This record gives sequence, structure tokens and C-alpha cells, in this order.
Amino acid sequence: MAPSVRCAPEAPIAPAADDRRSRHADHVGMSTTTANIIETRGVTKRFGARPAVMDLDLTVPRGSAFGFLGHNGAGKTTLIRMLLGLTTADGGVMRISGRRVPEERAAVLARVGAIVEEPHFHGHLTGHENLRIIAAVRSPEARGRIDGALRRVGLSDRANDRVKTYSQGMRQRLGVARCLLADPELLILDEPMNGLDPGGILEFRTMIAELTGEGRTVFLSSHLLDEVEKTCHAAAVIDRGRIIAQGPISELVADEHTEVDVGCDDPYAALDLLDGHPAVAAAHATPDGVRITLAGVDGAASINSRLVTAGVAVSRLEPVRESLEQRFLEMTSRVGGQS
Amino acid sequence: MTLTVARQMLGAEILKVGRNRGVMAFALLLTSGVVVIYFGYTAIEHASNPLLNAPAGGIHGFTRGVRSLGEFFGMLAAVLIGAEVGTADLSSGVFRDLVTTGRSRLALFGVRLPAAAILSLCVSAIAYVLVLIGTFALAGGTATPDLGLILQGAGWIAMANIVVGALAVGVGSLTGSRALTLTAVIGWQAIVTNLLVNVTSLGSARDVLLTPALTNLMPVNGGDGSVFMAATTAVIVVCGWLIISQFAGAWRTETQDA
Repeated sequence: MAPSVRCAPEAPIAPAADDRRSRHADHVGMSTTTANIIETRGVTKRFGARPAVMDLDLTVPRGSAFGFLGHNGAGKTTLIRMLLGLTTADGGVMRISGRRVPEERAAVLARVGAIVEEPHFHGHLTGHENLRIIAAVRSPEARGRIDGALRRVGLSDRANDRVKTYSQGMRQRLGVARCLLADPELLILDEPMNGLDPGGILEFRTMIAELTGEGRTVFLSSHLLDEVEKTCHAAAVIDRGRIIAQGPISELVADEHTEVDVGCDDPYAALDLLDGHPAVAAAHATPDGVRITLAGVDGAASINSRLVTAGVAVSRLEPVRESLEQRFLEMTSRVGGQS
Repeated sequence: MTLTVARQMLGAEILKVGRNRGVMAFALLLTSGVVVIYFGYTAIEHASNPLLNAPAGGIHGFTRGVRSLGEFFGMLAAVLIGAEVGTADLSSGVFRDLVTTGRSRLALFGVRLPAAAILSLCVSAIAYVLVLIGTFALAGGTATPDLGLILQGAGWIAMANIVVGALAVGVGSLTGSRALTLTAVIGWQAIVTNLLVNVTSLGSARDVLLTPALTNLMPVNGGDGSVFMAATTAVIVVCGWLIISQFAGAWRTETQDA
């Protein structure tokens, strides 16, 4: 796939930076700033006696790539389906671009492109014909965006082939092309990288960066935590129907304890030297040195000085940065342990 | 919804079913193919023994052709097309994507019947032209239908195809399954209805059946005559089937999880 930044000149997919302000009164005491493209408060959905989503509060800032993380069955797709009017919520309030859904879904969804679970098409029709069908339902202008959207996802040369001959990756790209017909200010992509090979994932990541660069918001549900970390600016973690953390990726991966790895030639001598050091809360040996949990935010310099002065050769000293995946597993297992 | 969008949606609906070559080829086979086979076979019969076998065309052939297109094979083609139109989005999973555009579900449903009607009528029109060709070319000196009867025949075939197609669209939208829709509608129309028509103890309760109502409105004398009813009653019954099937399909389309 070779995504191009160009769209059909006859009907450009314009940047979605949209300053329109919400004209709707806040009936439920929820902030409706257009800085946030998605806001939910107290959203609840049950399937029989089983709660799928419970009292869910979510805020997605406009113009960002936002990751939505959770285990299978955590409630990710259920929330997406409620936002898109595919199923009803049992309670709570949802807004997209400051407008309530499902009450104003027609106006809201006119500028939303979505792939839920996986993109579906009429296999006996070509890629171009499948886009014509969605364009017909959207607006008279949407048809003029078909060629540009196909070019953008790198499917122009396969546009007249039947979709049943497409690979999984090509279907995903065609799904994105279908989203672009709306000239969307918000794209909701549910597991969009499923079935993509590493090259396809890289291209997808690039495409998402381009889309957010145009002022669009990409709401990305994914199991691929590493991809979310590389692709998204912010994320929310849902577990058993509840949001347990949300915010910028940098804040989500930050821990209350700062750890540093010290590479040295004699780890056990280093542990002896640091025993009782005021900057050290805990320490243990690692194969190539020691890992130290700092007592405060500072202290690495004094630790380095102590070791070097005592004759321990320090080859490196670097902060330990947890991955989003590690934090995700910590957070979800912590919640699981409480229940 | 603007007229332009409605026209686009209708075009899209026709595109998605019209490009299904299996469905359209089978519909053509059931209509035009059967007409060609019928006239060809009876023409050969007549040629082999003119004293024993009447000419293939003329009023007799016209009546058989009209009844075939309105009541039997044309009905099957209309059900085939209607079932495909009613279930194509649901069975492919595209319905969900259509709903996420924000377009009203009733609008999505609303274009299905016109699309099915247009496709069915195109298929039946081709077959009707073949019927007329056979009627006049193979009349063998017997009486032929006048223009009025030709137009009445066309109107009746169109009405029968639209109503039966609507039934398939409604049931298809209700069930979401093409196999179930085909089984249910064809089974009802071709088997159950014929059984009920012959249960004379049901009396006027049989008036609510669709096929007898359509047969009573047929402009040529070709009905089996098992259930007689006034034309007004027949029209009410036909309209009732049309309305109920569309209401059921619309309700399901509006309320189901996508």
C-alpha cells in the first residue's frame, strides 16, 4: 500500500478542523466543548443481567489519535456500537461534536466514518461499486470523493476488481476509503490492524498520522498495544465495562515509582555500596548491573557519583520506561484482582 | 432526504442486486426461458399434428403466457429478486455500515421495494415481449388479443410481480436470511396456498389468500376458479398483503441491532 496524501481534486476531502460551537444546551450538566469530539457520561448497557458497559465516562480530545484499549469482551465494541446508533444504551449521555447521540445521529454521523469489528462489502461488486453504494446513501458530494479515497488508500489499480478477490489488508484499506467518503471529522476504527502484515501496519500508522495531521480525530480500538503506543496521542483503558484510566500516552505509561537501570562491571559491589543510600528506595541485581527504584525524582546523579567514586565502572545509567502494554496488564490485572 | 439522494439510493440498490449475475440469470431463465420453452414445445406439437394440437400462439397461448408470468414462474422470479433485495445488506454485513452513515433506517428500507419492483418488471417485460411474439407469430390463424387486453395483461403481471416481490422484500427484511425467505415465501405461495384453496370447508376465509385474490383480478380467463371473490375484495386483499409485508420489514429494519 502506498497511501498518498492527495485526494480527488474535483471533490477534496477537506481538513476537518471545524470550529463550530455546540448550539445545544447542556441538559445534563456535561461540558460540551468542541475541544472534545466524543464525550460520554454515565453510559450503561446491559445484555440481559450481564453489564457490558457500566457508568462509562470517556473524553476524546478533538484532532488526536485516541486509542481505546481493553481485553476481549471489555466493552470496547459495545461502546462504539452505541456511539454509532447500532444499538441503544440503557442509560447515560453521549455526545459527538457536542451533539447528543442517538438523538442527533443523522447530523452527527454525516461527518463520521466508521469501521466496526471488520469492514463488510458485497463480494460480487467491485471496490468502486461498493463505495458507490455507500456514497449514494451519504450525500450527493460523496460520489465525487470515491476516486480520491481509493487513491489515498492505494487501491486505484484494483478498484474495478471484485471485492471477493481482495485480501484482508485490502478490505481494511477499502474500509478506510469508505470512511473517507464522509470527509470525516471523526474516524472510528475498531481493530483496524487485524490481519495486516508488518508493512501494512506501518502504512496504516502513517495514514493515521496523516489524517490527524489534517485535523481529523481517529478513535482507534485495538488489541495491538504497541501499535497504539506508537500511533496514538492519548488512550483510555476499559476493563469489564468501566474506564479505569485515560489520558495522554506519556501519562498512562508513567509510574509513581521512578526506576533506573545502572550498567556496571560488579553488580553485587554496587548493591553493597548503595545499601542505605538516601536516594535508593530499593535495588536488585540484573544480568548486566542493578535496577534501582529511586526514593524521589532526583538521585540518579548522586548514585552515579557514589559508584564511580568507589571504583565501580558505570557503563550506562538510564531511566526505566514501562511500555503501554506493561501498564495495561498491570492496570487490568489490578482491577481484576479487586473484583 | 433529498430527491437526489433518493435517486442515488435507488440506483445503488438496483446496482447491488442487478450485478448479482446468479440471481438475475436465474430470474431470466424462470421467465423468458420458460416462455421460450413453452412456445417452442407447443409449436412443435402443433407442427407435428395440427389436427390434434392447437397453435402455440393466439388467445390461448397469450393466456398461458400471462398466467405463467403473473402466477407461476414470474412469481418465482419476483420472489428470487425480492428476497435478494430484502436480505443483501443484512447477509453481507453491509447494513451496519449503511446505518453508521446516519441515514434513516426507514429510508434504507424504503428503497428496497422500488428496486425490487424495477428489476422484476424488467425481467418480466422481456418475457412478456416474448409472449407477445409467440402469441402473434404462432397464432396459426386463430384469434389474437387486442391492444386493450395486451395492456391489461401487462398491468396484471406488473401488479402480481410487485406484490409478490414486496412480500419477499418484507419477509427478507424481517428474517435477514435469503434461504429462509425463499423457503417461506415460495412454500407459502406455491404449496400452502394451493392446499388451503382446496380446503372448501374454510369457505370465505380463503379470501385472505394472496394467490386467489390475484387470480380473480387476472384480465384473461385462466384462473383455476377455486375461490371466487368480488374485485373490490381482491384489491383489498392484495393491498393488505402489500401493506403488512412492508410494515413488518420496516419495523424489523428500524428496531434490529445492526
